Amino acid sequence: MNGLHDIGGMQGLGPVPREADEPVFHAEWEKRVFALMVSTLGGGAFNAGEFRHAVNERLDQSQYLTLDYYERWIQGIEMLLIEKGLITQDELKNRFEKLSKEVG
Amino acid sequence: MRVVTPKVARQIIHHGGSARIDAATAPCFSVGQRVTVRNIHPCGHTRVPRYVRSKTGVIERDYGVFVFPDTSAHGEGNKPQHLYNVCFCAQELWGSTASKHDFLYIDLWDDYLELA
Amino acid sequence: MSNTGRNGQPHDTEPKDIDLRIKALESILLDKGLVDAQGLNEIIETYENRIGPHNGAQIVARAWTKSDYKKWLLNDGTAAIASLGFTGIEGADVVVVENTPNVHNVIVCTLCSCYPWPILGLPPRWYKSAAYRARVVMEPRSVLAEFGLVLEEQCEVRVWDSTAEVRYMVLPERPPGSEGLDEKSLAELVTRDSMIGVARL
Repeated sequence: MNGLHDIGGMQGLGPVPREADEPVFHAEWEKRVFALMVSTLGGGAFNAGEFRHAVNERLDQSQYLTLDYYERWIQGIEMLLIEKGLITQDELKNRFEKLSKEVG
Repeated sequence: MRVVTPKVARQIIHHGGSARIDAATAPCFSVGQRVTVRNIHPCGHTRVPRYVRSKTGVIERDYGVFVFPDTSAHGEGNKPQHLYNVCFCAQELWGSTASKHDFLYIDLWDDYLELA
Repeated sequence: MSNTGRNGQPHDTEPKDIDLRIKALESILLDKGLVDAQGLNEIIETYENRIGPHNGAQIVARAWTKSDYKKWLLNDGTAAIASLGFTGIEGADVVVVENTPNVHNVIVCTLCSCYPWPILGLPPRWYKSAAYRARVVMEPRSVLAEFGLVLEEQCEVRVWDSTAEVRYMVLPERPPGSEGLDEKSLAELVTRDSMIGVARL
């Protein structure tokens, strides 16, 4: 698909943003997303092509440049697991609300 | 799906992940041939970037037979075919302002290519 | 929270929301027995602490000190790298490209973030950034100059866009003054950026 991820040759994006002494992960949630991806893809819930398609091309393209890298991953994992019938949107919504109340 | 325990995780991390297929599929092209990337715009998943479409390069290496992502991402089968490394002059891709000393190498499947 | 809607944008996703969103997904998958807590920890531990550019550095140091190994590495990177124990996902097929005084190689994935995990670990943010991916294929010399590497006009630049299933690593030039060093000391000189090709040693 001619998506925004297909970015080779685009101009006007400024200098390459670099970070000294960069950690492998920048937050705990990034680690969890990464591990969930390896575990679900590695476990055979979906294949690599389906995952790349989900996180790059099936994403609402207006969000491509504003969403964080691992935010695109979580969206992709949720989308695929719902489509495969392993979880439901309601389960995610209900669990999120339950956890929100617990945190307060 | 399989539950990924620590043992399975180590197996996946250290031994998994190849999209190579042991299939006796004949290559459509050979090393040294000039090829043009087809001017295609698939609506679904693809791994052929726009900046090489309609451009002409040379087959540098034949990597063997791999799963074709454009079909496997849609549950349409592996469609096994050869994957090649193709070399383009920077000027072919970006015009005469690019350095004549610069080259771009990219891996492309049979279905993305036609003979130049 | 929304799966695909606008609520996922960073402006209205507080750090707490994203934390809870992951926790929600992870806890559902744990409850259903679809993922294993220790398995998840094993994955994180491996990529955070065990696999990283020090693996690639061993390969480079070996190639600098053993000419037979270097020849093998450049001919069949996958096998030569596997002989040191580095194999697996995002690195099942690896090609190593050699920098010389006249040829400079640099690696990118313009479509996402493909990178040789078993030998370099997970990619840094800049490698995944829109700016690097967009620009290095079109204006490699100015991107390299931003990294402090100004190449001679006559030096050939080869950009490798690894958008398919093969992963690439650069074999950097051995730095001047390193002649007397053994393999282990040489490995300590090798940086991640030199193996991506945005730096010389």
